[in-house]
Amino acid sequence: MTIAPEMTDVHAIVEQVWSSFLGDEEPLLPAYDADGPFGADDAWSSAVSIHGGWTGTVTIELSKNLAFSLTRLMMAMDESEALDDAEVADAVGELVNMVGGNIKSLMPGPSALTLPVVAAGRAAHSSDLREVSRFDARWAGEPVRVSVHSPS
Amino acid sequence: MSKILVADDSRVMRQIVVRTLRQAGYGGHDIVEAENGRDCLEKALAEKPDLILSDWNMPEMNGIDCLAALRGSGSTIPFGFVTSEGSEDMRARAKSTGALFLIAKPFTAETFQEHLAGLI
Repeated sequence: MTIAPEMTDVHAIVEQVWSSFLGDEEPLLPAYDADGPFGADDAWSSAVSIHGGWTGTVTIELSKNLAFSLTRLMMAMDESEALDDAEVADAVGELVNMVGGNIKSLMPGPSALTLPVVAAGRAAHSSDLREVSRFDARWAGEPVRVSVHSPS
Repeated sequence: MSKILVADDSRVMRQIVVRTLRQAGYGGHDIVEAENGRDCLEKALAEKPDLILSDWNMPEMNGIDCLAALRGSGSTIPFGFVTSEGSEDMRARAKSTGALFLIAKPFTAETFQEHLAGLI
């Protein structure tokens, strides 16, 4: 049997990270988009891997609009201030770092967490990994997907 | 006025830590920022801050190696981790290396108040 984080745990961690850094004014609403919440041209993604007592990859994919909105919120910037890719990469990377770090704490250890890898676009996983948990949500109408992959 | 050194490779997270310090009532202090463990070690020795808040997982040198090097140099500057990981083995390792506390992200201003009370 594969040990994997429960979807309810992933949901709870994402909710906690979200409300701590992005506020409670706009709720993070669970969503169920069978075909995926967004296209590759309109997405940002970030991933961290955990190696050790448990091995897996935690990935966050979100729409470009959401990536930019949450970066402004995390950096306390208003809409008139320009953002560059490095700032968005920093914010989206920090999100997956927090979610991945908390998932790591739930799983058997000891283990190590990699630094986040961020890309403008969807995330792709190699064939030796399979999805073991997924949480789809919408925030202010914009999609976000958190998934956990583990070696099959 | 005290000096606080904030080390994190994420500029966004450094901003959030500084903002949370302000919300927790520590806004009147000098803030020095470092972008990895090596930078933190160099600034700790040069600037002699009254408190260091450091991420664990950073490029160049991670937070625990920075703390070990700092203690190895004879420095007793109060040091706390602010990191995305809060497992028991990491907390034990942090404590045995000389950290006063480990705050796991996400955190609130109240979490900062709880751990920083009496330190600065």
